[in-house]
Amino acid sequence: MRPFEYVTATSIETARQLLGANGHYLAGGNDLLGRLKDDITEAVRLVNIKGIGALRHIEPGPDRWQIGALVTIAEIEDHAELRKIFPGLQQAAAEVGSQQIRNVATLGGNLAQHSRCWYYRHRDIQCLKKRGRICYALEGDNRYHALFTGNVCISPVVSNLAIALTALDATAVIWRDGQERRLTMAELYELAWDNPTAHHSLRPGDLLLRVEIPTKRPRSAYLQVSEKHSFDWALVSCAAAARLENGRIYDARVALGCISPVPHQVAAANQFLEGKPLERDVAEKAADLLLTGAEPHEHNAYKIPMARALIRRTLLQLGT
Amino acid sequence: MDWFATNRTMKESDNPSVSQLSRREFFKGLGTTALAAATSQAQSVAQELRKLQAEKVFGPGAVPVTLHVNGKIHRLEVEPRVTLLDALRNHLGLTGSKEGCDRASCGACTVWLDGRAIYACQKLAIDSQGHEITTIEGLAPNGQLTPVQRAFVDRDALQCGYCTPGFVMSVSALLRKKPQPTPEEVIHACAGNICRCGTHPRIVEAALIAAGRPAASTPRTEVISYG
Repeated sequence: MRPFEYVTATSIETARQLLGANGHYLAGGNDLLGRLKDDITEAVRLVNIKGIGALRHIEPGPDRWQIGALVTIAEIEDHAELRKIFPGLQQAAAEVGSQQIRNVATLGGNLAQHSRCWYYRHRDIQCLKKRGRICYALEGDNRYHALFTGNVCISPVVSNLAIALTALDATAVIWRDGQERRLTMAELYELAWDNPTAHHSLRPGDLLLRVEIPTKRPRSAYLQVSEKHSFDWALVSCAAAARLENGRIYDARVALGCISPVPHQVAAANQFLEGKPLERDVAEKAADLLLTGAEPHEHNAYKIPMARALIRRTLLQLGT
Repeated sequence: MDWFATNRTMKESDNPSVSQLSRREFFKGLGTTALAAATSQAQSVAQELRKLQAEKVFGPGAVPVTLHVNGKIHRLEVEPRVTLLDALRNHLGLTGSKEGCDRASCGACTVWLDGRAIYACQKLAIDSQGHEITTIEGLAPNGQLTPVQRAFVDRDALQCGYCTPGFVMSVSALLRKKPQPTPEEVIHACAGNICRCGTHPRIVEAALIAAGRPAASTPRTEVISYG
């Protein structure tokens, strides 16, 4: 790592001031230190935000729960009450990294992490995502890349929690220009759809404060398929959340990860599921709608049948 | 020393509770060598450090860093970019924690931060201040092996041994949280540790034996006969 300055902030306001022009917020540090070591991110200063107590809380509520950006993935995984109310979120947390990573990694860091594309992560490659001219994955090895994108870069979003929180229709609350802003999960990532250099919609200086999750979908599930049984990135991930009444689905939301630069959602699929019985045929029709328009590349066509199976399994898991 | 220069930007009025005690006096009080301290003393030191260090810019040159490792307080001079693993191995001589990947992937550097397993390679030393760090050297300070270490020896749960300190720390952290884990829970807790020699089945067995569980049901390596 190259040398940098280090400072510990005690409030949201001072954290922003201390950040300056080329600083980075430091929480768990898993993604940031990895990028600094590989010399793909420059930092003049790291601002440790872990001293900001207001970002550490899990606040239950009848209509919505709030989870602070500094809550660790292990805390989400081990929280007995969260597990009952948002099982899909707990399942997504349990699949993040390893125990050592979950013990320090935070909700905010998981949502704001950068692409895992191996061309982006390579210190000697100046790819499109690093303001170069070419997406090397397009003609190179793209086995882990996206089936959908609104730009030329085909690196997908890999945050597990983003997928679960999208299905649960969470709101991300961020600190921008001296005030709180509320973003839907789609808005939190929409910039990455159009802009090849973006990993999410956060601008330099924006600070994720918390997510708010409505409790109106008591059924939720998250499943992923990886090459390794554990401690691996998903090849495809899927989350679903809904309310069930007499075996029928209401307010359903399905989201897929690792196949698009944003959590992949299709409004027509969610609408189709409204009031339908939770059955295999229904789940497969929803999968058709979710995967319409998928554009596989040389090495990632396997993701289409994999996503189809995951959508079916995840939806059927809502009934168990 | 850059940190003296950058410290001038801090305002004493921001932190009135600290202004009676200058950084220089505080660190002089700590002494220059490691000093043993009772836990309560260590906690008050940690609190003082937190107050002293809030909102003050350190680095990029070497700065004073105080670490609480295996029950002792150590005062170092390291740059903010130095990882906890480098501080332990290269500055404190605690070489039990190994460097494998230096990318939070292999688990050879696993230590405890306040009793939880973490990768020491992916944590800054300066960011580890105010926490209780336990390394493999701290598990058996009086030379008596812990039940987990004993079980690793008994089950021959190592070959080259490079990953072993990390595995022992991961298994021991699990048993503190869940004294009676299932094989699946052992595997989940050790997923972040890699043994390139392939001793995983023996490690799972050792963990279960240390927990007082029979290990007959754990997967065994299949013997392939040639010819």
